Amino acid sequence: MTSGSSSGEAAAAASAKIVLSGVSKAFERRNSGTPTMALQHLDMSVPEGHFVSILGPSGCGKTTVLRLVDGLVPPDSGSVLVAGQAPRPGPEMGFVFQAFRLIPWATVQANVEFALTATGLNKHERAERAAHYIALVGLQRFAQSYPGELSGGMKQRVALARAFASEPSILLMDEPFASIDAQTRELMQVELMKLWAQHRATVLFVTHSVDEAIMLADRVVLMSPRPGRVIEEIEVGLPHPRWQYDIRATPRFIELRSYLWSAIRDLVLNDPSSDFYAPTSGAASTPAD
Amino acid sequence: MIALYRFLFLIFLIVLWWVISLNVRANFIPSPWATLLAAQKLLADGKLIVALGDSLITFAGGYALGILVAIPVGLVMGVFLPVGKTLEIYVYALAAMPRVAFIPLIIVFLGLGFPAKIFIVFLGAVMPVLINTYAGVLAVDQELIEMARSVRAGRMQIFARIVLPSAVPFIIVGLRLGATIALINTVVAELYTAVRGLGGLLAIYGNTFRMAEYFVIVIVLAIIGVIVSEGLRHLEKRLVRWKTSD
Repeated sequence: MTSGSSSGEAAAAASAKIVLSGVSKAFERRNSGTPTMALQHLDMSVPEGHFVSILGPSGCGKTTVLRLVDGLVPPDSGSVLVAGQAPRPGPEMGFVFQAFRLIPWATVQANVEFALTATGLNKHERAERAAHYIALVGLQRFAQSYPGELSGGMKQRVALARAFASEPSILLMDEPFASIDAQTRELMQVELMKLWAQHRATVLFVTHSVDEAIMLADRVVLMSPRPGRVIEEIEVGLPHPRWQYDIRATPRFIELRSYLWSAIRDLVLNDPSSDFYAPTSGAASTPAD
Repeated sequence: MIALYRFLFLIFLIVLWWVISLNVRANFIPSPWATLLAAQKLLADGKLIVALGDSLITFAGGYALGILVAIPVGLVMGVFLPVGKTLEIYVYALAAMPRVAFIPLIIVFLGLGFPAKIFIVFLGAVMPVLINTYAGVLAVDQELIEMARSVRAGRMQIFARIVLPSAVPFIIVGLRLGATIALINTVVAELYTAVRGLGGLLAIYGNTFRMAEYFVIVIVLAIIGVIVSEGLRHLEKRLVRWKTSD
């Protein structure tokens, strides 16, 4: 398999926007008290302006990577650098959460404006900016609606507008389309591609969908189940903009898809904590542990 | 439609009351008509208005004082968790005990007048509001707080935009429970301290078997209860407009 640009890895890391090196993170379990390793010695770097998908089976600490990069939690060991510095949450980074996390008692307009509180924009500018991005995701008619009145797809568009509204240089997206129906998801993926084409942020996109990972990203990072580590990084190498052709029909897409599928299947089958644990199933391309 | 049914049910209750009054001996239950006449008389000689005024002052004073103490304390307990965890066991203990037990002590310190009455009402109203406010803050969605942190909202902003609004429905539940107990304690206070107000009239008419007048007071108390709880329901509708029934 033609894996990541291993020759230029060092050079890329030097100019990378996001660098995680040797990062470990454990969480206290509520009921047992013993900590669970979410990430172990994770290395990853994302060049500026790149769209990187983090792909892995459920519960491999993908979300933890995003929370570390946003600076919401500190690493137990190792270092996380964003633009050369320890990360601090704020409007420079947009976060799209899996369960939307809209404020139920605030209107769509107020929800988007809330993301602009620390931008230094004045009240009028905040309102204008929010309105612009609400219109961009096609929800201008619902600006004064409450989240409870919107469908799942519409809520996700509000969450997208909120993340884009502060015009962040980094976007962190945590399985943003996992909880919406298949048709809406396809449309939202195109919507995201178009937004990204207009506003070229560095994107970390967590997903467990192989198709989605390839379709959106410049590079796919494959992660192992708990404790999460990077197993492989693969350049997608398909031209942008991708909504203008049938990406699924390209030989490259088909090749990547079947490779990543079998890699994930092997990961799950060889993971003792998985429901499908079956170590004897002669996996062809088992990653070395 | 429901309003009509409610009205019809009221008629049914009055008829039931009337039938019972006809069948109970010795005027223990006055007829609706006799009660109405008694109400007219009580209104005309001003006794009812004076008593109502006394009771409302006691009720509103103690209830307002309870709210003024309970909401800030509940918020502080919820926001500063060590404070909350330290105090909660005492709060629950106090809430669980019959606070009527304090009345002799209150009389010793505050006498038999309004201060004692208002304090008795306060003691009843404060606990449900406090406990529900505290629970409301604890129930705040931690994911929303993390979202707010991710956009670098300040502590005050997180409190004002996330924590407080999320506690509002709980606080309103507390206000409703508090209002009920405050009304009960108003009557209790008027029975146990200087006999005044609606509770005082209740005692006087009850002890002298003037049942028509006694019933007037009972009905007035019921009406106060309805007005207060409907008012709070209205407030709830206004404050939690965002809750859609889906």
